Amino acid sequence: MIVPISFNSPSTSAAATSYPLPPTLARISHAEVVLVELQGALEIHSAKPSERDGKLVGRLGIDDAGKTATLRIGHHLLEGKVVQLAKPLAVLQRVLDGHKEDNMDVDGGEEQPAPSETQTTTGWDAIALIKRKIVFSKRPTPIVGRPA
Amino acid sequence: MPEFDLAFSASLTEETGHFKLLELPTEICALVENSLTPLRFSVKGQSSEDAVLCTPDDKTYTIRSVVLSNNILVVTSDPENDAAVVVRDQLTEILELTPTLPKLEKLTALLRGRDLDDVADNADGEPEPGISYEDAKSLIQASDGELASTLRKRRILDIRGKLRPIAPSYLTTILETILNHIVAQGLKPEAVPASELSATLADENEISVAVSMQVMTWFGNLNDGVWVLDVPAVHEPLTREELLRRWKLAVGDTFEASVALDLLSGNYLETASTGLFSADTLTYFPSSALPVEPASRFADLFLTRQRWRAEDISPFLSDIALNNKERDKLLLKYTRTTTDSGGQVYYTKR
Repeated sequence: MIVPISFNSPSTSAAATSYPLPPTLARISHAEVVLVELQGALEIHSAKPSERDGKLVGRLGIDDAGKTATLRIGHHLLEGKVVQLAKPLAVLQRVLDGHKEDNMDVDGGEEQPAPSETQTTTGWDAIALIKRKIVFSKRPTPIVGRPA
Repeated sequence: MPEFDLAFSASLTEETGHFKLLELPTEICALVENSLTPLRFSVKGQSSEDAVLCTPDDKTYTIRSVVLSNNILVVTSDPENDAAVVVRDQLTEILELTPTLPKLEKLTALLRGRDLDDVADNADGEPEPGISYEDAKSLIQASDGELASTLRKRRILDIRGKLRPIAPSYLTTILETILNHIVAQGLKPEAVPASELSATLADENEISVAVSMQVMTWFGNLNDGVWVLDVPAVHEPLTREELLRRWKLAVGDTFEASVALDLLSGNYLETASTGLFSADTLTYFPSSALPVEPASRFADLFLTRQRWRAEDISPFLSDIALNNKERDKLLLKYTRTTTDSGGQVYYTKR
């Protein structure tokens, strides 16, 4: 089987669907996507996974020079920095059949969208090329005497 | 210091597994950055195989998933709130790419018994079994460029939409006939009228136009109906002739000068003169017929010959090693190296 991966596909550069990041974050590497590396994972205690959807995690700060960053989660403060990646990373996003059909026709040409049930993966789009990321590699420090 | 609200995206659960990180080697990154038009890479493989990534032109990479101890958050802007950013996905693995040779050996198995010879060439009409170019594209883990050049190199015809390797004896006959026609009609090898030639071949020698036109593209350039014969290329398939003399005889006077043993590299074995034969003899020994697995290939090679000189063995490794460094690694792993008093390096079985 063949799974297509499209780079520079028209759908990713179309202004209608893009939401640029705030300028200080966009400056790190890419206008729309920023990668944040955490030592450990964000663990959420919830009855079902969908409960966390849309919930606030914390405050992400970045200095004006775009070199150091902070992440405040509750009473914990993480300090991190912006680092260059050894090799660039492409962020791939699954393309689903149905809501991106028009774009597929433009870049595919011979692509025939098989009439199947909705939500079938038709391939992957590279939505961003990332060269720098924010890394939080230290342990969190507690914040005292300040409301969360 | 500007601060932003970091929240989970409202569609986090729904979008789980919708993002992946792909590490790009420098050359792919350059390709992507310098191209303004959409590029289409493809991941190929059956469920039983390791997936490979094929570039739009002619490179193949194996894909390896590397698990990270850290988590990477994919963060984008929040469409509803300018001052906030959202976590779209949490990832713990990235995909790594390593350049590899295209996995073309499956082609041989797929096309076994589909050889096209002079009998089959004349049987027109009936629908053919077998695989088409499109089938091959999805079954073979190789980029389009590599597949096309392999079809050309292995002399595989596209007859009525199906891939058919040409029988070596039939190809020899066609080439000899073409060369004879060129000489007999006083045509220039640099400008042969292709359609006239193939019409003549069809009329007089019962070689179908589809076959002769494709054979011409293998051995030269076909532009606007004018075929520029690539003289050295024509000699390549005649390797099964055991001696250069017969080879020269086969190609005729005009092309005799361009007959050279180098063209047969990786296809023959040279045996030094023994008491029985007063001269060096050549035997047909195609590297394409050897196993692809390095271990079994070396086993085969050492069955054929106990001791190999460095320059003798290298043509038989060129199709399993990506470059000289890879080849030396294989030699180091599977052979024992000895150097004689004259400085000649020999490889023996480990």
